[in-house]
Amino acid sequence: MRILVIEDDVATADYIARGLAQEGQTAEVARTGKDGLFLALSETFDVIVTDRMLPAPDGLAIVRALRASSVMTPVLVLTALDDVERRVEGLDAGADDYLAKPFAFSELYARVRALSRRPAAPGTASTELAVGTLRMDLLRRVVTRSGSAVDLLPTEWRLLEYMMRHPGQVLTRTMLLERVWDFAFDPSTNVVDVHVSRLRRKVEGPDGPALIRTVRGAGYILDA
Amino acid sequence: MPDRPILDGLRRLLRSFALRTSLVMAAAALLLSLIGAGWGWLRAETALRQELDLVLAGEAEGLIRDYQLIGPQALIDAARASVRRDALLLVLVQTADGQTLAGRMDAAPAALLGYATLRAAGQPPLRALGAVLPGGINLVIAAPLSSADAAARTLAWTPLVAALGSGTVALLLGFVAARALERRLASVSNVAGLLTAGDLSRRLPQSGRGDEFDRLVMTVNAMLTKLETLVAAQRQVTDDIAHDLRGPLQRLRQGLEEALAARHEDPVLDQAITELDAVLQTFAALLRIARAEAGAGTRQSLDMSALVASVAEAYRPVAEEAGRSFAIDIVPDLMMNGDPALLGRMVANLLDNAMTHGAGAIRVALAAGPVLIVADEGPGVPVAKRDAVLDRFVRLDRSRATPGTGLGLALVKAAAQAHGGSMVLGPARPDGPAQPDGRGLAVTVDFHRAG
Repeated sequence: MRILVIEDDVATADYIARGLAQEGQTAEVARTGKDGLFLALSETFDVIVTDRMLPAPDGLAIVRALRASSVMTPVLVLTALDDVERRVEGLDAGADDYLAKPFAFSELYARVRALSRRPAAPGTASTELAVGTLRMDLLRRVVTRSGSAVDLLPTEWRLLEYMMRHPGQVLTRTMLLERVWDFAFDPSTNVVDVHVSRLRRKVEGPDGPALIRTVRGAGYILDA
Repeated sequence: MPDRPILDGLRRLLRSFALRTSLVMAAAALLLSLIGAGWGWLRAETALRQELDLVLAGEAEGLIRDYQLIGPQALIDAARASVRRDALLLVLVQTADGQTLAGRMDAAPAALLGYATLRAAGQPPLRALGAVLPGGINLVIAAPLSSADAAARTLAWTPLVAALGSGTVALLLGFVAARALERRLASVSNVAGLLTAGDLSRRLPQSGRGDEFDRLVMTVNAMLTKLETLVAAQRQVTDDIAHDLRGPLQRLRQGLEEALAARHEDPVLDQAITELDAVLQTFAALLRIARAEAGAGTRQSLDMSALVASVAEAYRPVAEEAGRSFAIDIVPDLMMNGDPALLGRMVANLLDNAMTHGAGAIRVALAAGPVLIVADEGPGVPVAKRDAVLDRFVRLDRSRATPGTGLGLALVKAAAQAHGGSMVLGPARPDGPAQPDGRGLAVTVDFHRAG
């Protein structure tokens, strides 16, 4: 992946670039909004990560300018203000995701991975998702594991669908809360863990192979 | 019942300050007039009687002079003349032992000496003066008191009638003033309601007459402007803190994370990151409370029933895995104006609280209002602590070992108030045993007045 990082804080920019390099990704860093917008318009990236608060043009102005020029590269906006008002404002401007500082690198990387436009499950029809032995028929609303049907509740269905659209990627609890439950907050109770473990029991069966892996301190992976 | 509003309006009017004042004033006017009338009557009566006494003395003197010049016949002539119906002066002539020689006077005692008021049944009272004349003759002359009485009554009635009239006028004016006052205060309390709901840009209306109300309204409006400035400043400070502190905190966390990555395993660094994340969580919660208290955030029409149901359903498996029963009882389609993220977090905080600090069955109910109740069967909160646990960082002794920031219920309170609602802690089962399981905790958030 080729990722553009627009961040005026040197320490944070270096931290993100180093982290991405360690994950084997290529990071291009721009220290001003002007440089960032120029790079974003003139070169091709898989994902753009931009700080919201930049000397003009700021993060949102960059997103608007990109979208106005029909550059549809996914954008993750970083901000110091995590209130939802600003979040909605960011998403309205055309940003694809939003992450509040301070963040853990694992959270940032999981979101960047989820944003990159890799085909979710290659070689399958768009009405069907397939990961390993799992098949999800989106039209007939049926899930099968090695051919046998798995009975899911609505929330479990949404959870599995999101995981199957991002196989082999770490999905953090916050991402799952936002995408599956549409919650803009983290409950202090282990809501996500309980739902994932129920889903896991259903799709893995009593003695089937492990499909959903827990990544300590980060989230969950549905193994591709 | 079509007449209910009128009755209610009348009842409200009777409680009105202006009408009560005018009622008191009318009553006072009446009482004062009564006292004045009584006193005036007494004074008039005394004065008129004294005047009558002087007249009687003059008449008596004249008769006595006639008697000395002419003899008893003068008195007897006068007495006979006085028996006529239209006579103003009655004259009675008696012998020393009380035998009437001439004239007639009911209720006259034998040998009256000096002044007396004579009252005979069926006749107007008489003022009489008796004298003993040389030669064994008693003379009594008298005049009816009725004319003095009538004059005194007239004098007494005048202020009484005036008082009745002015009392009626006072009542009518009070009624009108009460209506006007009520109309004026209604507009003020409307605006005050909007202000309480968080719209600090509203100002109380002025009539433009420059009266004492306008002066009060001007003072209050000036106070509101100051309040609005302070709240805006607080919001700005909150934003500044959020921006200025998060940069350094981000770098601190980055440094710790990179140091940990370089060494692979380091329990000290691991612990430091965990502690830092807890600090950040507390920091974020404080900011959220401050923002809610400042009335920040979006307002939109939302389906509270759907919002509460979606958060509650997310917790159902969590409760079930913990072996606790979980009941959801939600009246559908309850709409309200609010901040969906803040309200969602509020419901989540209540459920986190019930899961972490409560015990037994959990019940989530949403009724019309909307009124949200989250109840559990745990030890509850002692009455004396119910206000305190809503403050920041206040935790019950038995909860200190459990994880949490001590800010959960403070946020619920701030969120409720930001929406013009109120929050009350109470027992879930008021009739349950006080010990050993307690009566549970029911948190009620009432959005009745929410806009």
